[in-house]
Amino acid sequence: MALPPHRVDYLPMADRPKISWPDEAKVALWIAPNIEHYEYLPPRDPRRNPWPRSPHPEVQGYSHRDYGNRVGFWRMLDVLDEYGVRCTASTNLAVFEHYPDIGKAMTERGWEIMSHGIYNTRYLSSLTEEEEREFYVDCVDTLRRHTGQELKGMLGPAVSNTVRTPDLMAEAGLIYHADWLHDDQPIPINVDNGPLVSVPYSIELNDVPVFLHHHDTAEFVEMVKAQFDTLYEEGETSGRVMALALHPYLMGMPHRIQGLEEILDYLLGHDAIWQTTASEIAEHFIEHHYQEFVEHAEGISGVHDAS
Amino acid sequence: MQKGSAGYTMPAERSVGMDHSHYPYSPLPTRAALTWPSGKSLAMGALVLLEHYEWDPPPDAYSLRNSSGGLIKLPAPDYVQLTHREYGHRVGVFRLLDTLERHGIPVTVAVDKLTAVHYPWLIDHLMQRGCELVGHGVAASQLITSKLSEEDEAEIITDCLDTLEKLSGNRPSGWFSPEGVESSRTPELLAAAGVNYVCDWPNDEQPYKMTTPVGDLVSLPLFLEVDDEFALWHRRASLASWEGMIVSAATRLHVDGQTSARHMMLTLRPWLTGQPFRIRTLDRALSQVTQLDGVWAAHGNDIVKAFSES
Repeated sequence: MALPPHRVDYLPMADRPKISWPDEAKVALWIAPNIEHYEYLPPRDPRRNPWPRSPHPEVQGYSHRDYGNRVGFWRMLDVLDEYGVRCTASTNLAVFEHYPDIGKAMTERGWEIMSHGIYNTRYLSSLTEEEEREFYVDCVDTLRRHTGQELKGMLGPAVSNTVRTPDLMAEAGLIYHADWLHDDQPIPINVDNGPLVSVPYSIELNDVPVFLHHHDTAEFVEMVKAQFDTLYEEGETSGRVMALALHPYLMGMPHRIQGLEEILDYLLGHDAIWQTTASEIAEHFIEHHYQEFVEHAEGISGVHDAS
Repeated sequence: MQKGSAGYTMPAERSVGMDHSHYPYSPLPTRAALTWPSGKSLAMGALVLLEHYEWDPPPDAYSLRNSSGGLIKLPAPDYVQLTHREYGHRVGVFRLLDTLERHGIPVTVAVDKLTAVHYPWLIDHLMQRGCELVGHGVAASQLITSKLSEEDEAEIITDCLDTLEKLSGNRPSGWFSPEGVESSRTPELLAAAGVNYVCDWPNDEQPYKMTTPVGDLVSLPLFLEVDDEFALWHRRASLASWEGMIVSAATRLHVDGQTSARHMMLTLRPWLTGQPFRIRTLDRALSQVTQLDGVWAAHGNDIVKAFSES
């Protein structure tokens, strides 16, 4: 957006260069299970309380999420395997240390690991610049140590950020940031040393807000199908991105898992999709479209002198 | 009146009519029958909101405590909420415009000052598509409330109207306050600024006259219950339920409007209904509504003009 901190230039969907995905796909689809650990007794953060329901520990909230790692993940994994989905796992990287079984299951399947911070109860919003710099070193090292993968992108831990986040991510060698919900296509993010792009994630097509706000599985399935139908139609003109954000503690429940099967049946039943990972979307965009997008935005953005 | 203890502070005077002087009480069945041009029974309009949320609002600015969008209230910078709203300006607005145009519904757009200043391309685009612009304050992060001085409030109103006039070529005749929040002075200050109609009071199915010490203006009520934010965000209605609300409301208004005409203003947010999965619901609802015989689709100012001339 045009206003501070000037990270993004305005580029209306109605006037943009065309995006072409591999094999003339209309939609690049990435599926992001969030593999999380919320701490039992997190340190007190003056700006955000992870467990506001009661003094800590908050055993019920903790267990609800812990269920995901003990049970839900494994039920979801069976379904994802059945459909051969290559996931981009939004991972609290300490999961590799606490739950090596989960880490092994993800790496064996060749999933891409996207950083979702170290723990979901450690927020970026309270870090100093130096602390945030160390945080990225920790994320990059932890992932490399456990998987050999180079870290390419991040969804901020519990979607927390600072104004410096994009600069520091790019400085650490990351190329995409998933916290930007502003678009259906990758968009260049202005940073000191780039490139860095946003890859569209979703808090709408996301089981957390949907189920916590009392919608049932059938509604979620309808939402996902409708989202896909629109993007698939529009993708005829220029490639679109669709993200499906899942949490094993919700979608992996016995009364919901069938919804995931319905969703995957529907989405993967279409030919012109590119079922890929967030970093492959970012890399393709950077290689083929980044420069054109930057140049086109220069002709459109700009603050009118209203004085 | 009961003579109670010293702490009992109920108003001593309970006079007939409203507890303010903006408009008189007027039960709908007692009014003269309203008619729309060509005898249509229902005027249908759409108010699309382009609201700008600042990353760093002025420290004394007032914004809603539970403003919509995003996930939960996060410490600044809340990328999630801010970019969720920004989606409307970049992507969602075009889906709304395309859909409304396809159903022949002229689009009225409430634009705040910071949107106009920072998205000049969008203002040109709206004008090229024949939209009516109405004033919408400075930003959704700078609400008009009774906490402002009268001077500052008047400044917000004229600042917005002047900016929209300068950038679009037309001075708006309508107004919708950011988040629908007013001070008790707002109607008078709007009338003083030359505004002809205001959409802040969702209390009727017909336009009605407001009076202020400096002149009259028309209230053009929006339909709050089917407002996308009210229904889909705050009440979390399902998509099917929202579609049903729009269609049954329009169907009933269309019938009741045969006695005395009605209007229905749909309030639509590009970041919300402009999402890929929601736009199809609006499309389905409008397909049904526009099949009703006797619907007059119009801009806000045309509905107000027809009301004023009837």
